[in-house]
Amino acid sequence: MNGPELVAVRPAADDAPLEEEFEVAAKRQAPWRMTVRRLFRHRLFLMGLCLCSIILLAGVFAQLITTADPVRLAMRWRFRAPGVDGFVFGTDNFGRSLWARVVFGAQLSLYIGFSVVLLNAVFGTLIGAAAGYFRKLDNALMRVNDAMMAFPAILLAIAITAVLGASTFNAILALSIVYIPRTARIVRASVIVLREMEYVQAAVAAGAGHWRILRRHILPNAMAPLIVQLSFLFAYAVLSEATLSFLGLGAVPPTPTWGNIMAEGRQYLVEAPWIITIPGIALMITVMGLNLLGDGLRDVLDPRLRIQQ
Amino acid sequence: MARTGWGPLGFAAAMAFIGALGSTSALAQTYKCPKVGGDFVFGQEANVNSLDQMTSTTISTRNVAMNIFEALMARDESNNPITDLAESYTESPDGLIYTFKLRQGVKFHNGKAMTSADVVASWDRYKRVAAERQILDNVEKWEAPDASTFVVTMKKRQPTFVEFISSFSQPIVIIPAELKDDAPQQLRTIGTGPFQLVEFLPGSHVRLKRYDGYTPNTKFTERTGFGGYKQACFNTVTFRIVTEPGARVAGLRTGELHGVEDIPFTSVADLKKDNRITILPLENWWVHIASANASQVPTDNAKFRQAVMALLDNEEIMEASTDGNYKLNVGFQYPHQASYTDAGKEFYNQKSPAKAKALLAESGYKGEPVFLLTNKDYPSMYNASLVMSQQMQSIGIKAELKVVDWPTAVQMAAAPSPSPGWNFFFTGYGTQPALGALATMNFFMGTNPNYKPKPGQEDTVLAAEWENMNLKVDPKERQAAFVAMQKRIFEQAYVFPFGSLTKVQGVRANVVGYKPFRIPRFSNVSFQ
Amino acid sequence: MWGVALRSILGSLPVLLIVSLITFGLMRLIPGDPAAAIAGMSATADQLALIRKDLGLDEPFVVQLVKWYGGLLQGNLGRSILMGQDVLQVTLIRLPVTIALAMYALVLTLLLGMVSGIVAALRQNTLVDQLAMVFSMIGISVPNFFLGLLMILLFAVHLGWLPTGGYIPLWQDPIGWLRTSTMPALSLALLQMGLLARITRSTMLEVLRQDYIRTARAKGLPRRVVVVKHALTNALIPITTVVGIIISLSISGAVVTESLFSIPGMGQLLTQAVLNRDYPMVQGGLLLTTTFLVLVNILVDIAYAILDPRVRYERS
Repeated sequence: MNGPELVAVRPAADDAPLEEEFEVAAKRQAPWRMTVRRLFRHRLFLMGLCLCSIILLAGVFAQLITTADPVRLAMRWRFRAPGVDGFVFGTDNFGRSLWARVVFGAQLSLYIGFSVVLLNAVFGTLIGAAAGYFRKLDNALMRVNDAMMAFPAILLAIAITAVLGASTFNAILALSIVYIPRTARIVRASVIVLREMEYVQAAVAAGAGHWRILRRHILPNAMAPLIVQLSFLFAYAVLSEATLSFLGLGAVPPTPTWGNIMAEGRQYLVEAPWIITIPGIALMITVMGLNLLGDGLRDVLDPRLRIQQ
Repeated sequence: MARTGWGPLGFAAAMAFIGALGSTSALAQTYKCPKVGGDFVFGQEANVNSLDQMTSTTISTRNVAMNIFEALMARDESNNPITDLAESYTESPDGLIYTFKLRQGVKFHNGKAMTSADVVASWDRYKRVAAERQILDNVEKWEAPDASTFVVTMKKRQPTFVEFISSFSQPIVIIPAELKDDAPQQLRTIGTGPFQLVEFLPGSHVRLKRYDGYTPNTKFTERTGFGGYKQACFNTVTFRIVTEPGARVAGLRTGELHGVEDIPFTSVADLKKDNRITILPLENWWVHIASANASQVPTDNAKFRQAVMALLDNEEIMEASTDGNYKLNVGFQYPHQASYTDAGKEFYNQKSPAKAKALLAESGYKGEPVFLLTNKDYPSMYNASLVMSQQMQSIGIKAELKVVDWPTAVQMAAAPSPSPGWNFFFTGYGTQPALGALATMNFFMGTNPNYKPKPGQEDTVLAAEWENMNLKVDPKERQAAFVAMQKRIFEQAYVFPFGSLTKVQGVRANVVGYKPFRIPRFSNVSFQ
Repeated sequence: MWGVALRSILGSLPVLLIVSLITFGLMRLIPGDPAAAIAGMSATADQLALIRKDLGLDEPFVVQLVKWYGGLLQGNLGRSILMGQDVLQVTLIRLPVTIALAMYALVLTLLLGMVSGIVAALRQNTLVDQLAMVFSMIGISVPNFFLGLLMILLFAVHLGWLPTGGYIPLWQDPIGWLRTSTMPALSLALLQMGLLARITRSTMLEVLRQDYIRTARAKGLPRRVVVVKHALTNALIPITTVVGIIISLSISGAVVTESLFSIPGMGQLLTQAVLNRDYPMVQGGLLLTTTFLVLVNILVDIAYAILDPRVRYERS
């Protein structure tokens, strides 16, 4: 199992998107202008961009588009159905406007998703590059990596948040720990292939240092699969954060995250189904948007698997 | 004449005494199942981990196990001690020797007849493994002079002993002598009760069937509390674990479940309209409580605690916490109990921000963060903490929620004083208030009282009254001691009882004889 | 082929060791201990201390670790603190429940996911294709707990077609099992269905563009024969690898789904065990589950080796 093809499709106890497994490790880098032009011709990418923009704008301008306080209790207004008494999305069991909570929830969900992506980009690249480039490190790093990936992801996240305690920051940390091995594996696969490329070997022969080779010759060319992976990861992080919050292990309530809102609404499933349905739909739109973005990126950045739309 | 030694419940104790000696009225008809047969399915909210009634004190265990096991003594419908597997008992005039006569003809689920040797073995195991084994600390020895007699000798006189050994918190259930060495949580499930175990699949269900060799207690004509004349009418009773409240409601609606516990209040109105369903409120399920931590700033300051006490709007807290399913309740006992007192009511539900602000200023509070330790496993506790934090913020207290899971919260709250990281711990006093004042006041005593006094600064007033509560022979004096304790606790604002929570249960309308109690009882219940 | 198996098994041993070490360490780092779970709602602090002592939880970390590995070497995984039962015994009861559910989900996934992927590929760029892709996109975007709750609301509460929960063992009453397992299996399968449909579609499209397919078509072979004989067989290769991932996904997804529908499987068992700090149960249960997953992956590797001539060639 040494060839790049096999590394790329080797099944693993993996919860990360399957698409990553089908990445081709090496490819030429397209000039970014071309890439952008191609992306904007990609219908599904544009759809994803629209969906994500809606959620992003809602999150960024949360303070402007709602005047209601998402945390303050208002017991007089409990359980208003959507549209009743001027509450667009209704209210929850504490009389808080769901509109306000879902909008502020967008802010937090995106913040958590983005942080996880950022941590993955940094540490996934570091670990993956180290493992792929320095053969001596490879075995040790990948064994630990495999072990981390062998855990059922959610269970590992549950255990980590149980150790650290529930908070927004700890949820980010837990999800990063769960997903970094998966990112590292993708980066490693690319690096292994690139290292054997003639131009890299030439640079080695010319006496370039490891750091320079990695920085100048290998990592830039390993970016494409990483970017694709990270876009799917974003979707996964948002989903998993909701699951963690739903289990009471995410951001500390009363902070509104979609998972928190749904967890609280769970008790009122039959009588006030809107409490779980509305954040559920918001979550679905976000994840769908992110997945579409990922599809588009993959199609454009990865010519081998590009499928004519 | 023998004494029952029953605590504050003077009158009730007398009744219990009569019950113990046989109060069978000649007129009363002995209970007979209206219909024998049928398979009953109960939707239970919490998972059952073990059926070892001697080591597990969880309610979910008791829900099932109390239908399987029995003890020498139990509590009746009004919480008075009654004999169950014992025929009768006597207390020597000096209060040092209790002699129990066992009921004849009682057989274990394995067919073996129960003798005093089994009782000795059961008490031995209890002393070895039970979490509440300290209730036997004051016992010198127990022995079985003959097959139907069991004698307990005390070290010192303890007027409250019968109150303890009839407790259903962790009852000293009688098991066959050969199970005596079963490890904790691993007791083989063989008891003497009206139901016997068929299958137990943790996480899914427990199935019991009628024990046909059961010998009911003919001292009584009806089931009362956990004792009395018990008869199993159903062929089988299945406890199905249904953690999702919505799913329990739906199951009751469709008839998949014949009875459920803990119906969300928001569903009650709808279910009441359904004539195939009977809604049964189980009042006073627990006293909703936040207990203060007197070993941490700023709750180490009595003025600060009193400020919070002056501020609280308990109606608002209970409303949010229980969705309206509550009663305001002063203190630690309920009005239907003989030991109830409203001592300290001037401190309860004051709703006075002005007074609170004044006390806060007096306390010299400097804006330190105040941590409310709560959890999401029990939504009502979480909801209470949310409302309380908001009330505190309204007068400028920097209240912050600390939400952890239940085992973490318990560990933090139980850490010996000085117990760091929290100022108020949200919990419920459930079983103890139901057991009586003595069990509840136990929370404030011992090596690690739950108001967390700094080492060496335990409240001496409480300690003195606790002595009286335990040692005074006259029940009236013991009650007076309890009244003084409750008043002191309110005055010093050690804990904040918000009110009592009602749990709602429901059964299908064709179920007769089901009466909500602390633990669902399936004897003397049948289909129409 | 046997070489593949042997290598995979040897390669997985260090992974299992690391898994058990991480589990052990993590569990001891979690604040709170099983005493709270055993003692229930309202126990006094003194009672908790007593239970803790009874359980041997005051022993040093290293002593506990050595004891656990010592037991493991003798094939003894220990006893669950909470349930008092042997960890291996409990796992042998619970794991099949999860596997049965995962298999049901897998069948649904393969049937619906593959068929819609193939149809979408054959009818590329038609309405059918787009509908199939929209549904699979929704499938991979819905959190399974949300889907589970919505299904309870619709099928159990409003329509009353399926029971709200409860579990009937497969070997006791297959029909009852189907009734109680359909909603959980569907909520597990939807995500995977989406994934599989998308992968099947893209693999099929790729295979259909290959030269040998064009040649086969040019030779005048009927389209159906080409699709089934050539395209599908080749498309199966990457799909095989997906099966392994789908089984892992089902087990991981079961963590939430089983709690939601009260199914007494491994997911619910382990979640409860983590939340109640039932150390031996988490350690042993996770080790066994991971071993199972590793075995599945080895089987997939072997199947892969059989199906893919390139790998076969490389190995021999």
